Amino acid sequence: MNDHQEKPMESRTSATAVDIRNLSFNYGSTQALKNIGLNLKRNEVTAFIGPSGCGKSTLLRCINRMNDEIAGTRITQGEILIDDINIYDRSVDVVKLRRQVGMVFQKSNPFPSSIYDNVAYGLRMRGERDSAVLDQSVQESLESAALWDEVKDRLQESALGLSGGQQQRLCIARTIAVKPTIVLMDEPCSALDPIATAKVEDLIWKLKHDYTFIIVTHNMHQAARVSDKTAFFYMGELVEFSDTSRMFSNPSVKKTEEYITGRFG
Amino acid sequence: MSNQHIFQEMDLSMNALREKVQLMASLTAQNMKNAMRALVSRDIDLARIVIGDDSEVDELEVKIDQLGMDILIRFHPMASDLRAVITAMKTAHNLERISDHAVNIAKRAKKICKSQSSIEVNMVEPLFAMAEQILNDALRAYKDGDSDLGEGLHAADEQLDKAYKKVSASLSSGLENPGTNAENILHLIFVARSIERMGDLAVNIGEDSVFLSKARDIRHEQRKAQS
Repeated sequence: MNDHQEKPMESRTSATAVDIRNLSFNYGSTQALKNIGLNLKRNEVTAFIGPSGCGKSTLLRCINRMNDEIAGTRITQGEILIDDINIYDRSVDVVKLRRQVGMVFQKSNPFPSSIYDNVAYGLRMRGERDSAVLDQSVQESLESAALWDEVKDRLQESALGLSGGQQQRLCIARTIAVKPTIVLMDEPCSALDPIATAKVEDLIWKLKHDYTFIIVTHNMHQAARVSDKTAFFYMGELVEFSDTSRMFSNPSVKKTEEYITGRFG
Repeated sequence: MSNQHIFQEMDLSMNALREKVQLMASLTAQNMKNAMRALVSRDIDLARIVIGDDSEVDELEVKIDQLGMDILIRFHPMASDLRAVITAMKTAHNLERISDHAVNIAKRAKKICKSQSSIEVNMVEPLFAMAEQILNDALRAYKDGDSDLGEGLHAADEQLDKAYKKVSASLSSGLENPGTNAENILHLIFVARSIERMGDLAVNIGEDSVFLSKARDIRHEQRKAQS
């Protein structure tokens, strides 16, 4: 049992948030991930870096089974354990898994509804109807996402009227409103200006005390700024996984050095 | 590893940085050598050249810092590139200080040349040879990425320190001898001190060359090991 199987969050004591073991993954006949092994710690930020097509986003989407939605995809080997449960086990409820493992996408995707309804959406889907509970959760989530002060007087206005950076922070608020333990981020700042990017990065740094973040980024300086650990992928393989400071000052593998110094890519 | 960056402008800037450090190293080594020659051969003109040439070294230090800052801002270097920029700027700083000590020696040489020759000048020559060797090795370690050579300079510097203490003691005791040109002896004590400092600064360059090639910070390791 784990959270996606209705286990109380308090019982999670392991230091490991996600344990990826010997994972291989195919898009049809094309192998996208080759025997990946990664142990991601709780309350750390891990960055996935690598050139386009290296498999980093594929691996990210494996962690909350988003790839299930793509026809012809399959895990050909290995497993992903969250709270000691293989999330690809038949007994796992994918909806509950995705509540535990939230996701923020490259392009902010607020629903065409009010700011309030966007944040309350996940709770309502879970059956929450108590307005006091919803009010409190919406406020807490927006505060955590450092957006409350900017929107508290216009919660009923359309979320589509927010700036790009505000929309992305709204999506983060919506994600954390359902109290996930792990937050996946796929290029969350690629469409944002430097100020909005800094706000999102600051948010990640502050929220990591409560959540485990896994972020895919093409921006190596962003990886260097926000992550504790960095994993470098190349052609579906995990080339190197280490402390971020070490990765960007003295990588162990020649291929990593070549990539992060801009000598291939 | 491919030596070429995809963004070739970065290669041009990194190469320019390396070339400027090499040029500064050559000028500094030359200033150091000329300062000693001016002292030993009582050549006031050469001493003046050393003092004049130091401004070129100073300008190069400023240019290297500017170029290093420019590379940091424009290219956000990582890993070995980041270490190369940091090391270039630190090496430039150490070279500038070595050249300042060469100027100190040249100024003392000018003063010594104005009085009768002192046999004690011979006492600082071996010190200089040791310091010069340390600097040459440090510069080779930096240029070739030879971390073993860079790390090995501590032993040579210890020998220099011991030799400096002996020479300094001998010169000081010579002050008590009747008929000694005390002023010249005092100048030579300061010359010996400058040579000893040059050795220390050259060791810094050697340590930075280890950081450059191996990403290991060996500064103060020896002192920690001794305590």
